[in-house]
Amino acid sequence: MTAGGARLGAARLGVAMKWVDLRPEIDSLTGAVHTDARFSGASGADQAALELALQLGGTWGADVVVVSVGPAGSETMLREALAAGATQALRVDGDTAMASQDVARALAETFKGLGVDLVLCGDWSLDRGSGSVPAFLAGAMGFAQALGLVSIAPDGRSPCGLSAQRRLDGGRRERLRIQAPAILSVESGAARLRRAALTRVIEARKATVEVRPAPTPVGAPHLAPTRVGPYRPRARTLPPPSLTLSPRERVLALTGALVERTPPQTLVLEAPEAAERILDQLRTWGYLT
Amino acid sequence: MRSRSDDGTNLAHTAEATTTRPTTPVGDVPREAGRSDAWGSMAFEDRMATVDFRVAEKAHIEVDSEVCRSCTTRSCVGACPAALFVPTADGGILFNYEECFECGTCYMICNNEGAITWSYPEGGHGVVYKKS
Amino acid sequence: MTERFDAVVVGAGPAGSAAALVLAQGGASVCLLERGPFPGSKNMYGGVIYGRILDGLIPQWWDEAPVQRWVTRRCTTMLTAGQALTIDYRTSAWGSPPYNGATAFRPDFDAWLAGKAEAAGAVLVCSTTATGLLRNEAGAIVGVRTDRPDGDIEARTVIACDGVNSFLAKEAGLYHHAEADHFTLGVKEVLALPRRDIEERFGLRGLEGADFEIVGCTGDVPGGGFIYTNLDSIAVGLVLSLPGLAASKRRPEDILAEMKTHPAIAPLVEGAELKEYSAHLIPEGGYDMMPELGQDNLLIAGDAAAMCLAAGIWLEGVNFAIGSGAAAGEAVVEALTRGGVVAQPLEGYRRRLENSFVLADHKKLRRAPGLVLSDRVQSRYPQLACNLAERMFTVDNPSPKKGMVALGRQEIKRSGVRLRDLARDAWTGLRTFG
Ligand SMILES: Cc1cc2nc3c(=O)[nH]c(=O)nc-3n(C[C@H](O)[C@H](O)[C@H](O)COP(=O)(O)OP(=O)(O)OC[C@H]3O[C@@H](n4cnc5c(N)ncnc54)[C@H](O)[C@@H]3O)c2cc1C
Repeated sequence: MTAGGARLGAARLGVAMKWVDLRPEIDSLTGAVHTDARFSGASGADQAALELALQLGGTWGADVVVVSVGPAGSETMLREALAAGATQALRVDGDTAMASQDVARALAETFKGLGVDLVLCGDWSLDRGSGSVPAFLAGAMGFAQALGLVSIAPDGRSPCGLSAQRRLDGGRRERLRIQAPAILSVESGAARLRRAALTRVIEARKATVEVRPAPTPVGAPHLAPTRVGPYRPRARTLPPPSLTLSPRERVLALTGALVERTPPQTLVLEAPEAAERILDQLRTWGYLT
Repeated sequence: MRSRSDDGTNLAHTAEATTTRPTTPVGDVPREAGRSDAWGSMAFEDRMATVDFRVAEKAHIEVDSEVCRSCTTRSCVGACPAALFVPTADGGILFNYEECFECGTCYMICNNEGAITWSYPEGGHGVVYKKS
Repeated sequence: MTERFDAVVVGAGPAGSAAALVLAQGGASVCLLERGPFPGSKNMYGGVIYGRILDGLIPQWWDEAPVQRWVTRRCTTMLTAGQALTIDYRTSAWGSPPYNGATAFRPDFDAWLAGKAEAAGAVLVCSTTATGLLRNEAGAIVGVRTDRPDGDIEARTVIACDGVNSFLAKEAGLYHHAEADHFTLGVKEVLALPRRDIEERFGLRGLEGADFEIVGCTGDVPGGGFIYTNLDSIAVGLVLSLPGLAASKRRPEDILAEMKTHPAIAPLVEGAELKEYSAHLIPEGGYDMMPELGQDNLLIAGDAAAMCLAAGIWLEGVNFAIGSGAAAGEAVVEALTRGGVVAQPLEGYRRRLENSFVLADHKKLRRAPGLVLSDRVQSRYPQLACNLAERMFTVDNPSPKKGMVALGRQEIKRSGVRLRDLARDAWTGLRTFG
């Protein structure tokens, strides 16, 4: 799509969404991740992408096509997208552990075939979170990329121009002017997905979601993770200390500086001894009897 | 290890346990001082963190603090299983709606007509149980 | 506006899904509305489903229902501060089809049952809250309103299975007794424990399960407690009278923590890790406090109609919900098939309930709530029974053993229970539970 054409905006908007468990259980001993389909769906960022696409589609009178690479369970999410207003939904068969590059290629093929010239997606998926799919997708499609946006709106000057904002380090914002064709990824706070109308929810239950076979991965990927670091639990959020305390006492309460505690020790031991020490310690703390 | 100390509190024990497991109750909600067992005395926030709450944009609870000012029982404060109601210094009630079990205890127990207006959060939002 | 349905069922709990299943099987077009993201996501209970009511609806349901364990051991425990007396019943008969009770997670069970209704043809719509009754100019109920854009649903009949807080039943004015006295608050912890520990602590093998109902564990708040075994977790919870809780000024989780430290309970729960905490109300008023069953084209079923049986040693609601929901479904199917004019389904609904366990059990146990929540049953009788057991089993040689009757007399006197009250409660108990 080029500026100055008869048509306004992008011909067809594409949205890429990933079906992920939004609250997976992680076994603290083995690190095994258990997922549950009932707790799976689109992340906040993917939902924001859909909402912004629907808004742009509304302004420009363009179709919004939603594509997901994922297992059959993803169709629930795609139906929700249809209910919210997407014109078409498509699933490329795949599993959630597929390499980012293969996912991007599958998406690129699908979007190209549909004549999509502006793609929106979340900035990164909740489960793997490297944020590489949007970049690979831009590469595969030969489009410009604008990643991690916090807002998108028609710029009101050129027919298919957009203005967008992006967060930079140090709290600065960057304002961008974007021309389709492009890939845009957005943060979850960029928009809140609209509530689907009841009639559409009921219709979407029966709507067809076209399924395409999984693409065969080609050769070694140009980029592959060589090591994944250990899972790090999130920092514990502490509730604010009582306001009746003095600032000093509040700082102390937050840091736990005055709480009596046994200082941590580092011991270098053989495995059996180490196990014994751990058991002893647990007994001392009262976790074992 | 889990026996009570003489004054019936388990302070000695909690102090020891803090290295691995914070046991001191926090926040402004009145809570019993003496706890007799490490397993029972879990921080309230940790208890609530086991539950999935999909927070809606709009609050489904409304409290008319004007009415609350004349209330002497304040049953909602102690009875709400999620401890969402907090008395304020000026006699009103501050409420949260985000981590609500949607049980209905607050409006049932409230004896002041119109103080608590309670409905359900927007469909799809609010508490989501997994193992209940 | 959506197509017009024969029936809209509000709430995909056991009552609503049973109603929708029967309606769909009967050829009616039905919309099953649920405010949670999936059926069961908002629903919490103690832990045992008495499934025989499903026999007629889903043949061989036990082969496919998402069950944790089959209850083969049922204990009723009375606690005082330092004592415990348990009536422990086990039978292997409950361990094979058709079974008696099963522990299950409601997000699993309710989703499964709603899936049955959907497979039969019901239109399940989740994440949608009914916000009120839809009425025409003449004031007749013609459907429900929802919180979605363009969200009205038109239907010939409305079945409200929206649970204990039933705003629809209240809006229609069916409730005459919705005071706090008739409701209890349930709080529950699901605690992870390795399967082997559960089997050892509760004396179970394979899929056998245990069920403990406990009195005397709620301090000065009238109520009771429970422990149920799942596959690799246990459910430990309390049921607390609302006015009692308010008067006590205590926090529910503190009372629960206290129960868990009782010497009879602590060894069962020790070391278990909290997986999920939950809370829900129970309608506990019994038969005399039930609302009207419906009005015109509106029927109410399950907890929405306060049909939960919570009477001390019994805590059953899922079976009553399924029973009443199915009855409502049948009544609507009957009304729809009676020629062109739609008859009022209320009459058929009432008739069905009266002829089934749903109302029969409630009528029989109508005096139970008052008795069970009385101070005598809550604290004096457990104390009396425990003391009596202690005296019977304490060997204090060289004193000779006392006769049982003498012991009984002494302990009754010591407990401060008046013989007149004891006799009256025994009589009420016999008539109620006998
Ligand atoms: C602590 C506790 C322990 C219990 N223990 C047991 C036990 O061991 N065994 C047993 O059999 N019973 C037990 N019960 C009782 C049992 O849980 C209930 O009786 C039963 O769930 C009632 O089923 P229902 O379908 O009527 O209502 P619910 O299960 O409450 O279902 C109502 C449904 O309606 C939905 N809903 C409500 N309002 C709306 C609306 N406006 N729009 C859309 N959807 C709506 C809700 O999300 C919910 O899914 C227990 C209850 C509690 C609280």
